[in-house]
Amino acid sequence: MWNFILRNIGQRLILLIIVSFVAHSFIHLAPGEPSEVDPMNPRMKPEDIAKIRAAFHLDDPLHVQYAYWIRDLASGELKSFKDSQPVLPKIWDRFLNSLPLFILATILVWTWAFPAGIYGAVFRGGVYDRGTVFLSYALISVPGFFLSYLAILWVVGWFGVPVISIKTFGLEHAEPAYKMMDRVWHLVIPSVMAAIGGIAVLSRYVRSQMLEVLSQDYVRTARAKGLDEDTVIYGHALGNALLPFVTMFGLLLPGLIGGSVIFEQIFAWPGLGRLAYEAILARDFPIIMTLNFIAAVLTLAGTLLSDILYAVVDPRIRLH
Amino acid sequence: MIVKRLLLFIPLVLVLLLLQSFFWVPTYENQAAGNPNRLVTYIEASSGDAKILNPILNADSASSGIVNQVFEGLLDLDENLDLRGRLATDWQIFERAYLVVNPYHRFPDGTEVTGARLFQKIHAAWKTGTDEGLKNYVQSLELLPAIQREETVSLLLPSKEGRPQLKDVRVTVDVLERVAFTLSQVDQDLFDRLKPILGEQYFEHFPYEEMIRPQEDLTKEIEQALREKFPEILPVGEHNPTIVLHLREGVTFQDGHEFDAGDVKFTYEAIMNPKNLSPRTPDFEPIKTVEIVDKYTVKIIYKRLYSPAINAWTMGILPEHLLNDVALTREKQERGLSEDAQESFGMRDSQFNRHPIGSGRFQFVEWQGDEFIHLERFDTYWEGPAQYQDYFMRIIPELFTQEVEFRTGAIDFYGAQPHQVDRYKNDSTYQWFSSLGFAYTYIGYNNRKPLFADADIRKALGMAINVDEIIQYLMYEEGERTTGPYPKNTEWYDPSIQPLPYDPQEAQVIFHDAGWHKNEDGWLEKDGKIFQFNLITNNGNPIRKNLMIIAQNAWKKIGVKVNTQVFEWAVFLGDFVNTGDFDAVVLGWSMGIDPDLYQIWHSSQAGPQQLNFMGYTSQRADELIVRIRQEYNRDRQRQLTHELHRLIHEDQPYTFLYAPLSTRVLDKKIVLVQAGADGKEEYKKIYPMKSGDHTFLFHQWRKLEFTPDF
Repeated sequence: MWNFILRNIGQRLILLIIVSFVAHSFIHLAPGEPSEVDPMNPRMKPEDIAKIRAAFHLDDPLHVQYAYWIRDLASGELKSFKDSQPVLPKIWDRFLNSLPLFILATILVWTWAFPAGIYGAVFRGGVYDRGTVFLSYALISVPGFFLSYLAILWVVGWFGVPVISIKTFGLEHAEPAYKMMDRVWHLVIPSVMAAIGGIAVLSRYVRSQMLEVLSQDYVRTARAKGLDEDTVIYGHALGNALLPFVTMFGLLLPGLIGGSVIFEQIFAWPGLGRLAYEAILARDFPIIMTLNFIAAVLTLAGTLLSDILYAVVDPRIRLH
Repeated sequence: MIVKRLLLFIPLVLVLLLLQSFFWVPTYENQAAGNPNRLVTYIEASSGDAKILNPILNADSASSGIVNQVFEGLLDLDENLDLRGRLATDWQIFERAYLVVNPYHRFPDGTEVTGARLFQKIHAAWKTGTDEGLKNYVQSLELLPAIQREETVSLLLPSKEGRPQLKDVRVTVDVLERVAFTLSQVDQDLFDRLKPILGEQYFEHFPYEEMIRPQEDLTKEIEQALREKFPEILPVGEHNPTIVLHLREGVTFQDGHEFDAGDVKFTYEAIMNPKNLSPRTPDFEPIKTVEIVDKYTVKIIYKRLYSPAINAWTMGILPEHLLNDVALTREKQERGLSEDAQESFGMRDSQFNRHPIGSGRFQFVEWQGDEFIHLERFDTYWEGPAQYQDYFMRIIPELFTQEVEFRTGAIDFYGAQPHQVDRYKNDSTYQWFSSLGFAYTYIGYNNRKPLFADADIRKALGMAINVDEIIQYLMYEEGERTTGPYPKNTEWYDPSIQPLPYDPQEAQVIFHDAGWHKNEDGWLEKDGKIFQFNLITNNGNPIRKNLMIIAQNAWKKIGVKVNTQVFEWAVFLGDFVNTGDFDAVVLGWSMGIDPDLYQIWHSSQAGPQQLNFMGYTSQRADELIVRIRQEYNRDRQRQLTHELHRLIHEDQPYTFLYAPLSTRVLDKKIVLVQAGADGKEEYKKIYPMKSGDHTFLFHQWRKLEFTPDF
């Protein structure tokens, strides 16, 4: 077991270096220049642009730029091109903003998908089942940003309340309870919008997993024993149906970075996804690279975690 | 079964918990109820976050919006676009000029040029000559001894990879004896006035090679580049316009430190410090020195005649005590950076750029990245505090989202598009403004192409287009006709010039007179060739695309065959505009308030990558453009710009179409609060200034609890 983990970590570290180098090359080779050295700015003289390019090491060979990046990242002195601020604290601030949205959306997905999927499986072929099948395929097909716009229009049109961003402005002097509830309200629509797609997809998995388990012999045995239907489904079947989902927790990790770019953009949510999006538009290489690196770390850590979790919850699986 | 109940119960409770929060949130109707501070809070939306809150470093509109509130310049523009004193109370402009002895020249009477003789001749002309300008403007003369100085010259060398390289060269300069003039006002013709005494060729054949010696051996290439810089390093006749600014006494920065001349000099030096990479360098580059005369007086000496240079002092002034070497050294030590980082540490790295302190009406409180920037009013501002207590700039990237927030009362202002403004025009709870800016839209003809070489042909093309209809149907009346290169709301624009009439018949007569006749297919033809060209524009601007089609159709009616194409911006600039490889374009310019048209209209700026991409050349226009930028007298400048405007209008290198109006919407509850005659507050409707700016009196704005009836 420990042997397996150590070996895996070693392999993943090597992979991480390769991934980061490839990503670094791609980002630098892609067309476009950091907006600070945009040659279309008529006020900038070629001399000035040459100076800024030199300060950013933009004219050095790729591997040298990579080395500069690794060095600065390791020493914590990596700075954004855009505002010369250290990259890591900046990412940490944004991470704290993204976290509640991510957690709430995840909770919504996991609390709604299970009942929805289980009932679909239990009452297979009924009106409820067919209704949810239709609804979930509809929600999977309709783009999230479109639904978000509709939701915003309706809520604003009918109720005239702010829904954008992390809180309502001008509430600094209100009671703490009002301020807290305002924050909760601002979480509601973006997290529901971010969760809808997830609920639709996950409830399909739950349904098919439940159906498979319900057709197993031990379920028939349980029924034959004369157990009531609820005990059979929630006592015997559900536990076994849950197994594959435990491993999915590990794969949630990378979603922390890329999960909600669209929703953060639409709802003006100052999170990681928007930081990444804007960094890409401005070709702010240090930020793009670092976020990319963190995403790679999270993905590799997530898959490792999945493997381990699987072994922990399923005694039939052994890691070597 | 408990699991079954939990599975139902948990999601329902969660949703109910979330939804009840709705009842705690303010709505549009009662946004100020229980929160009276909302009335003295101004919230503006911005699409992008600010980048750097430092007046000498910022280059984006979001940053400059905040910087303009926090910092204040020596001067600014008043409601009539004239300069007005802010941190400076008043200023005088005069001139110092220098004339170097040209040892290889002889005076018209055949005598050799020496310092003493030069001085004596000019002195005689000043005291006893007939030239009125010399007599009136020159206040004193002196003869300066020869000196030797050293300096570093930055040369830009073309490299094989295409990106020019910088090379610094140290040179020793022998400055021979010079006559120094002090003039009561700037006189760009001073050296022309002296030519009868000096001889016409005095300023030519100056032996630069002997006077300017590089301190190292140079390659041919570098030597050539240096040679081109000779007249700049050692001008034979040198104008040094000089501005003396008297500063306002008793003004403090927001940290309580007093503002004085040292801050002005520091700000200038910070801009010119190559380490700071300031985008303002071109504006301040004409300055030779900034001298502190006393605590409240600065003297700014310019290298050459360039009258728009004074506008640069509208830029905010930095507090020296927070950013000088002592302060920066302290900061980098306190932050415990590595040696490498300490080595390269400069103003760009300072935390000041995230927590700026200036002397403007609002002081900085907080910046949450990509969320908001919070300012609060500076209560001891020298002109009195503003009405608003808090100022927020919220960052909302989507225009749609901005509108949604505007309608819930969560923001007070956003840059509404014309179609959005339309929705508010009939709603009595909003107010809206429509005013001219500094932009105009045109069809430009590549003047290098033989097809467009004749001004009459260009005029005929312009006469075939019905611009009034374009304004009516394409712009929904949000535009005004324009006839020349200056913004309509500046005094440089000559309002007496009439736009080209819409007259396709007359246009056809002009073509006929020029030898173009309609062939069987209905196209104009001459010597077997039909009149045909490509009209192009950039993608992403639907109005320009429509303009192109309207023009194509209008020209088709008089027999001109036009093919239209739309290109991505980068391709449009890279493959067509910058290379000069196009026939005609639909484009627009956004101008500044100064009358300098050098970059867009001077014939020397018609090369690749330069802004006179239409290739307009006119000797008289060149003369006028140079005279305008060297003229310091506003009345004379206005006469010259009117002449230039008329000249360009007659040449029609562009078909000038219209100047778009910009429209803005505000909550109608926001008004101007002014002190009435009886000491009570009076409420007035907000109105735009001549410049089109409706925020000029922003410090008097406040939100009322009720919607006023104006």
